[in-house]
Amino acid sequence: MHRHPPTNPNAPEAVVIEDLHKRFGELEVLKGVSLTAREGDVITLIGSSGSGKSTLLRCINMLEVPDEGRVVIGGEAIGLKKGRGGRTVPADVRQVDRIRTRLGMVFQNFNLWTHMTILENVIEAPVHVLGVSRAEAIDRARMLLDKVGILSKAESYPIQLSGGQQQRAAIARALAMQPKVMLFDEPTSALDPELVGEVLLVIRQLAEEGNTMILVTHEMGFAREVASEVVFLHQGRIEEQGPPDKVLVNPDSERVRQFLSRHLSGAA
Amino acid sequence: MTVAVSLSSFALGILFGSAGAAAKLSHSLILNGVAEVYTTVVRGVPELLVIYLLFFGGGGMAMALAGVFGYEGYIELNAFTIGVLAVGLISGAYSTEVIRGAVQAVPMGQIEAARACGMSRWLILRRILVPQTLRYALPGLGNVWQLTLKDTALISVTALAEIMRVAHVAAGSTRQPFLFYTTAAALYLVLTTVSTAAFERAERYASRGVRRA
Repeated sequence: MHRHPPTNPNAPEAVVIEDLHKRFGELEVLKGVSLTAREGDVITLIGSSGSGKSTLLRCINMLEVPDEGRVVIGGEAIGLKKGRGGRTVPADVRQVDRIRTRLGMVFQNFNLWTHMTILENVIEAPVHVLGVSRAEAIDRARMLLDKVGILSKAESYPIQLSGGQQQRAAIARALAMQPKVMLFDEPTSALDPELVGEVLLVIRQLAEEGNTMILVTHEMGFAREVASEVVFLHQGRIEEQGPPDKVLVNPDSERVRQFLSRHLSGAA
Repeated sequence: MTVAVSLSSFALGILFGSAGAAAKLSHSLILNGVAEVYTTVVRGVPELLVIYLLFFGGGGMAMALAGVFGYEGYIELNAFTIGVLAVGLISGAYSTEVIRGAVQAVPMGQIEAARACGMSRWLILRRILVPQTLRYALPGLGNVWQLTLKDTALISVTALAEIMRVAHVAAGSTRQPFLFYTTAAALYLVLTTVSTAAFERAERYASRGVRRA
């Protein structure tokens, strides 16, 4: 079985998260999480629902703004300030917009824009955000759609595609921005079981090509194959982290052990 | 004339409606309140009354406003302006509710995906939110358009020569009311039928990617 090489300690830091806290009303979802992803890392975040793994991922591109802590992308810290009512808000929305262009995000529910064809979905942000020429964007989009195996669907609308095809289109859309880091938020959780494989295949290929990725997933077997590091979250804190063959096979934490016994039975 | 008043009023109504919807959806309590008062009052009083208020009170209000800026002369607003303003105000109140509902119907994920790509707020509004909102708003706006078209009949009271006024005058002078009022009715029907067809086409376009193309 192929294994992702372990983290290279000398690679530059792609994403650094320091002491992140996030509250939703009374509920504290993240209670001080720190994490570093170096270039070429594939980090998978696992844990039960409500452990804060999706929130953590969404804090990286500021879809959720953390209450406390720091997020540094490619050496650039995202400026935060206290807004009205004591809520933390980005200090400069243009900085956030700019940083987001370097972070590709893939959602659980694909979130392809329904009023555009697949091709239009893929070229939208390169043309309107990065200012790439339409012809160049189309060339690149076709190449990416070919790579994820749905070039023949370029002129279709999202509704005409299966879930697996839609998710592959969404991956192509994220890749079209040539991001430094890819963020995956449970990319296969909304798919019928028989469609999961085709999406994992694409993600695995991206991992093998050396892309930096942070991935929230419930697919333990897959995490073991593609991850350079596995992070287990429990109630807003990191319970255990390390190489997949350690955390997913012989964890120190009793909680991780219980979690795995629930998730590996039958699944892998 | 009817078409001109209707189109102008409807366009003004969309403008008021978008502003109203934006105000209602904003986090500002003041804006919420202003929009709430607007839709409650305008939708809650007879439309004829709104027209009377603007027609008989509008000139005075405009003069008072001009007075504040140091202009002391006499201002008379023409019937067309008043008519468009009045019907636009009414149309806008209904559009506000239609547009507000449509904006809320757009799935949050559509906007999140755009934010995640680094699209600015303005770009998201133009490229994602408006096209998506249109799809949900068009059926309701088609309704508002028909109401607007028929509301223009009410401004015949201001002696503006739209269909209703012309029919009324013609009926009076020729003593053939039945003929002229049926003609007027037929004209309204032609206008509404044609516009319904136009709205159906627009809806089909806005819903591309929803029903099978």
